[in-house]
Amino acid sequence: MEQNAAYEGQQVYHPKGWWGHYVFSQDHKIIALQYTCVALAIGLTGMFLSMMMRMQLGFPGLFDSIDAGSYYQDVTMHGMIMVIYLLTALFLGGFGNYLIPLMLGSRDMAFPFVNMLSFWVYFLSVIILSASFFVPSGPTGAGWTLYPPQSILEGTPGGDGAGILLMLISLAVFIIAFTMGGLNYITTVLQSRARGMKMMRMPLIIWCIFLATFLGLLAFPALFVGAIMLTFDRVLETSFFMPEIFKGGEVLDYGGGSPVLFQHLFWFFGHPEVYIIALPAFGIISELISCHARKNIFGYNMMVWALVAIAGISFIVWAHHMYVAGMNPYLGFFFATTTLIIAVPTAIKVYNWVLTLWHANIKMTVPMLYCLAFLITFLIGGLTGLFLGNVSVDVPLSDTYFVVGHFHMVMAVSPVLALYGGLYHWFPSVTGRMLDDRLGKIHFWITFVGTYLIYFPMHYIGFLGVPRRYYSNQQYDFIPDSVADLNQFITICALIVGASQFILLYNFVNSAIRGKKASKNPWGACTLEWQTLESPPGHGNWGDQLPVVYRWPYDYGLPGATADFVPQNVPDEQIT
Amino acid sequence: MDKHNPINSEPGILNLNHAQVFVYMLLAVVTILFLFLTNAYVFRMNFEDWQPLPVPSLLWVNTCSLVVASIGMGWATRGAKKNNQTNLKIGLLIGGFFALFFLTGQFWAWQQLIAYGYLLADNPANTFFYLITAMHGLHISGGVVAWIVITKKSWKTDSVESHSAQVSLLATYWHYLLLIWVMMFGLFLST
Repeated sequence: MEQNAAYEGQQVYHPKGWWGHYVFSQDHKIIALQYTCVALAIGLTGMFLSMMMRMQLGFPGLFDSIDAGSYYQDVTMHGMIMVIYLLTALFLGGFGNYLIPLMLGSRDMAFPFVNMLSFWVYFLSVIILSASFFVPSGPTGAGWTLYPPQSILEGTPGGDGAGILLMLISLAVFIIAFTMGGLNYITTVLQSRARGMKMMRMPLIIWCIFLATFLGLLAFPALFVGAIMLTFDRVLETSFFMPEIFKGGEVLDYGGGSPVLFQHLFWFFGHPEVYIIALPAFGIISELISCHARKNIFGYNMMVWALVAIAGISFIVWAHHMYVAGMNPYLGFFFATTTLIIAVPTAIKVYNWVLTLWHANIKMTVPMLYCLAFLITFLIGGLTGLFLGNVSVDVPLSDTYFVVGHFHMVMAVSPVLALYGGLYHWFPSVTGRMLDDRLGKIHFWITFVGTYLIYFPMHYIGFLGVPRRYYSNQQYDFIPDSVADLNQFITICALIVGASQFILLYNFVNSAIRGKKASKNPWGACTLEWQTLESPPGHGNWGDQLPVVYRWPYDYGLPGATADFVPQNVPDEQIT
Repeated sequence: MDKHNPINSEPGILNLNHAQVFVYMLLAVVTILFLFLTNAYVFRMNFEDWQPLPVPSLLWVNTCSLVVASIGMGWATRGAKKNNQTNLKIGLLIGGFFALFFLTGQFWAWQQLIAYGYLLADNPANTFFYLITAMHGLHISGGVVAWIVITKKSWKTDSVESHSAQVSLLATYWHYLLLIWVMMFGLFLST
């Protein structure tokens, strides 16, 4: 009774009407779904743009509509959409919103109204970004890094029109949305944990989202400042970043600025951004691998401290993206060293995942397949990162397809594999139904094998010195003809992988309506989101009484227990 | 039951309530934002074309008004804690009025600079001045919105206790923006 009295103090927002329930909802679960749907929709656009790029690279000149300008626009928008508007939003806005209150035993986020506002401001940023497809000169084609001076000058697609402006405004609006959401996640994790849910009993995914949010809150202001200053340069003709520029023999109004200053601001955000995406992926893998291998996670404490170390070090590696921008060799040495050091805590995590699998009762479910695929892919992407972290290796490989292959393996394919694994794992919690296993496996194998067929050859093309970002490789003597054949092969694979994503979409829609009913805890997981009264969890999550936590989240195969898992809210005396 | 953390039972960090954690984290983000602006300022001022602009003496008056606003908010907080309605209301009015006075003063300082020919795009020093003061002004404006909400609440209810924590946080925000302004002003004066 005393416990109930304690919980009476909690105010839970009660929605009114259809609009209050499903549109302007303050319920974290609905907001998570809204984030997920918008992010997946804009992500599909990003995927479509990549198909356009691949068509040009594989079959140059086949489509008249793809000229050099539109190619660069596709490259730029693809990169920005995938990194910011899909992955960041989906991992933190989607998974973060859904899992933080449920896994911590809370009824909702600490500030539900701010949470709702965060989604709508994010939605606005997506609308502004999408609007740039419809302005006369189209979206910006400056490359996702938006480096000045070229990004805001005439001649760059979208540089003289509204394209670049809409991009910069959209980014600033996104950062405001992220800040609102992020402050909420931090407050909820620090303040709204159920009784007994000590910080070191939190599931690793919550640690990951918590730390990724910290990274975002501290890194996004750099991009915000950069975007505002670049907007000033573009609209008011100031010269923060713009040096003297001669055009057709005439001097432009700019002068004295430093393009490298923008690069520093961009990458001070840009590198932690890699971990803003990677950390939630790590978290998903940690949850999935332990649950689907029916074994406790190896080295929980070490995993947490490795995450903290990765988050900290990620702020002092940014200039490894700028080796070719011209820098003091000692500075290059410093950043190469920190870059290699960050591999240590990352390797600790990989070892721990592998050791979790060691002698485990591995269930080859679809989420587990994604976990295994993630481990291999992240390892390969990480190893090529060690090459590029060294200045002397990076200089010749910079701006070649080796880099494209590397970062797609490590921060595109790997997080997407974790993302898909997570979607398959938590789909029953969201909808109360299971995804179709057969379709899931078909989708997995096409995606997994397909992405290797796409990105592995890119490493070889990169070694040959084929530059990235080029619209056409046809008129360069140093590029052998075989590259064209390989590009055709990659394009065909990309088309197949792209088309196979519709299997997932079909599976989602079909299973949500007609899928097999899921039991309350279909995977036998220990974490709290599967221990709710109703499944899917109802409004307020926990009925009258909040859960009390007695143990860590990975009690699989506990000696003496009959079941092979003990949920976090089961006290010792109730274990049978 | 932990009075700071009524929603759940696991004690929050450092015995803070939800709103405190939210606002302190927000202030950390604001700090980072101005840190980057300062970084960019210092980076850019080493280039040849940098010509420092004369800092209008009006800024001293504005700084004083922000100090008074901060003192007013401190007074409001003390009033709220001691359940003294009059002090709370007077403090809030002083805090809000002088913050608005500061904003007007900053705008006036811009007008003076424009009148003297220090236009925004003429020199990076000018641009930084306008940018940093605008960013700071925007943050003050955001605070003014919160001030309107809390002041309205103070006039509507007789019980001070219900929003004493909010007044205290608003005051923290005021003090912090004063601190940031003093640092930015110092940056302008010293370069």
